[in-house]
Amino acid sequence: MAPLTIQQATKSFGEVQVLHGIDISIDDGEFVVLVGPSGCGKSTLLRLIAGLEDISTGSILIDGRDISRSHPKDRDIAMVFQSYALYPHMTVAENMGFSLRMRGATMDEQHRKVHEAAGILDLEPLLDRYPRQLSGGQRQRVAMGRAIVRDPKVFLFDEPLSNLDAKLRVQMRAEIRSLHKSLETTIVYVTHDQIEAMTMADKIVVMRGGYVEQIGSPMAVYDAPANVFVAGFIGSPAMNLLKGRIGSDRQSFDLDAGGVLQFDSVLNARPHQPVILGVRPEYVKISDGGSAAVVKLIEPTGADLHVMLDIAGTKLTAVYHERLTLEEGQEVRLAIPTDHVHLFDPENETRIVGN
Amino acid sequence: MSAQMRVGQQRTTWLIFIGLCLFTFINLTPLIWAVLTSLKDPRDAFTIPPTIIFEPTLKYHIQVWTENDFVFYLMNSLIISAGTVFISVPAGSLAAYALSRIPRRSAGPILSALFTIRMFPHMLLAIPFFVMGTFLNMIDTYPLLILALVAINQPFTIWLMHGFFLEIPRDLDEAAAIDGCSNWQAFRIVILPLARPGMTVAALFSLLLSYNEFLFALVLTGTDTKTLPVAIASFGGEDISSWSLSAAGAVGIMLPIVLVMLILQRHLVRGLTAGAVKG
Repeated sequence: MAPLTIQQATKSFGEVQVLHGIDISIDDGEFVVLVGPSGCGKSTLLRLIAGLEDISTGSILIDGRDISRSHPKDRDIAMVFQSYALYPHMTVAENMGFSLRMRGATMDEQHRKVHEAAGILDLEPLLDRYPRQLSGGQRQRVAMGRAIVRDPKVFLFDEPLSNLDAKLRVQMRAEIRSLHKSLETTIVYVTHDQIEAMTMADKIVVMRGGYVEQIGSPMAVYDAPANVFVAGFIGSPAMNLLKGRIGSDRQSFDLDAGGVLQFDSVLNARPHQPVILGVRPEYVKISDGGSAAVVKLIEPTGADLHVMLDIAGTKLTAVYHERLTLEEGQEVRLAIPTDHVHLFDPENETRIVGN
Repeated sequence: MSAQMRVGQQRTTWLIFIGLCLFTFINLTPLIWAVLTSLKDPRDAFTIPPTIIFEPTLKYHIQVWTENDFVFYLMNSLIISAGTVFISVPAGSLAAYALSRIPRRSAGPILSALFTIRMFPHMLLAIPFFVMGTFLNMIDTYPLLILALVAINQPFTIWLMHGFFLEIPRDLDEAAAIDGCSNWQAFRIVILPLARPGMTVAALFSLLLSYNEFLFALVLTGTDTKTLPVAIASFGGEDISSWSLSAAGAVGIMLPIVLVMLILQRHLVRGLTAGAVKG
């Protein structure tokens, strides 16, 4: 395990620049998730760390050593690929021991380390099988086994769960997390799934268009998104983002599309200031007084109730953990706690103030 | 599926089967004719209608294998074919691997150029090869014919192997690099074993081309390195009494290839279908 530092890293493919001056500092043993939509540059950044792509400018340091120009094999990293990239002509044991074989480890050492890793991942009965004889989850585990056998300084995971079904994904998520707890190795994990990011990470790096939008702990990013993009990307269902102006009494919000939201205390902005107001669905409460809204759609998920509300043509999503008896077309009153309101500048979409 | 549809489908299958049988028979006719002729006395060989029932003789087969330096020419053919395969397949595989791993916009023009070479009439290449061979004093030597055959065979080998390498995910190269392989080690230890079916096919096609090649062998060889196809052309000539001998020679020349095909048939089918998926 080792700290990883990325300094002003850029990457261009010909004329197209895909990463713009990335600065990330990852502590020793930290689990960092790079998250963002397709094409945001997260996988490219991971490949720069792995040495599978050449960095254009900037530097990458592992344990204080600049490895920006080193061959992948000299970086002391291990990577789990989205496709698992198991060698089809080798057994599970041979796959797992391959890196040790390449490093000239003795047969005894290979055998011992492969069995140790297989023990951790419950792979002992599968060691003599070929990858084609394994299920998706087992292949995933072998790919992880191949990585941990090396005892590297940094683990890299490139969307490792995206080929698994939903149930197995939840199981593997927990396994990777507990593996990290026991190994305490620095992990950089790429995903486009913000649930994965939230549940697994010590630190989230939200990326868009080759830029880092925000870095922070999952809850810090959730509670105080730096801009409209992060606010909309992190959280499911997504945060409600409403365009409008602060009312003259600062206790109301005039929606651009018409309609008014009432609050029980003042909003932290100037009267008549145009803003984008953000509120998470779980904080859109139904009460006896407040803003009028009409129930448009009710989606029970079992655990929760997702409700689509309409305020004079503006759609709002609400989530309730309690089993409310609502009907489509019913008029309700909404109460939104002011301390859970996020305000963003409509010009540059950055956070003005919030809780 | 309704019973009517099933009957219709069965009928189609049978029609295709009969059509293919007919096609196979037409293709095999010269072969059957050669085998029968090689077992007949020359008097029976040209009777009209052809005699189906006759007293077979192995006289001409024995004569082919014991006289006329048939074995000597066969050895020449085998040496030249083996030489061609052993240079063509590894060199072609290396080139194809590189082409499969560089950007498509760079590989495309090279592959197109190779395709053009493949379409170039061999006759036009034989003359420069003869001139170069004369200049280097290499006429009637194994290396000259082997290099010439490698040159004309290489585009096909590269195209074929390129398709196979494209099918092997690049993730495997990258996983190998992270696991500690150099580029060469990744190719040799990880990629090459996966391309084995493709290499078998490439080797077989290379073998067929070099073993059967006539034009270059005629122009570039002499008494020392004459190959079987060239030698056998002179077996029969215009003498009608030698046709049985000629046919026995034709059967003899086929035997090694048929043997190789039988041994590698499994790989060949797997290789061809694997290559057909992509590339």
